[in-house]
Amino acid sequence: MILPFQHRRDGVHLGLAEHERELLRDLVAQLVSLLETHDDADPAVARLYPPGYDGDAEADAEFRRLTADDLTAGKIENAKALLASLHADRRAPLTHETLEAWLRSLTDLRLTLASRLGVTNEGVPDPGDRNGVVLRDVYEWLGYVQESLVRAIDR
Amino acid sequence: MTLDETDLRRLVAPDVPWVTLVWDDPVNLMSYVSYVFRSYFGFERKEAERLMLQVHTKGKAVVATGAREQMELHVEAMHGYGLWATVSKADE
Repeated sequence: MILPFQHRRDGVHLGLAEHERELLRDLVAQLVSLLETHDDADPAVARLYPPGYDGDAEADAEFRRLTADDLTAGKIENAKALLASLHADRRAPLTHETLEAWLRSLTDLRLTLASRLGVTNEGVPDPGDRNGVVLRDVYEWLGYVQESLVRAIDR
Repeated sequence: MTLDETDLRRLVAPDVPWVTLVWDDPVNLMSYVSYVFRSYFGFERKEAERLMLQVHTKGKAVVATGAREQMELHVEAMHGYGLWATVSKADE
């Protein structure tokens, strides 16, 4: 079985199959669109932009005013770096910057899907319909990809 | 008139009593949180694991203490990693 990320002598390589890359392209494109739209009423957006202060609305508003644009720019940059690496030369290892972009963007994707699925500390609730089941499977697969990435980097 | 220890500390370092709190969330992997603590804060593996487990079991952990502006930078960085972090006064 081919791991999503592989640690070799010259660095970390992407081991994802073509259909997995295709799925990621689709998901990351949706993430970019979500970030660009930035609908504050969307619970996924709320989780991607957590409060900077707990219980101090004024300090939090000021924190958001100062940080939100940079946070968005960083998230979009990470998403685009991930997308670019999906069709880069497969023989070359991923750079440290690209791996960091993958870590962060996979996290953003997982946070977004978790919000759609209503994930809590008890786990993923029963998805109900067929679409929900697909979403849950994708969420769990992204967790597997993320774990493989952390292991490949962290050794 | 003499200054007690608290007054002195306030005069010497008026911005010190702030902390960076990281909160538990049901999504981020334990291995990832531990990696972030090590790569961003430079903690040794053992300390990063201890803090990560504290977040996981107690719901939150103090990962840094210092001036308010510095804590805001840390929180901003944690948000960049997708971790749920807030700035707080040290005594809260």
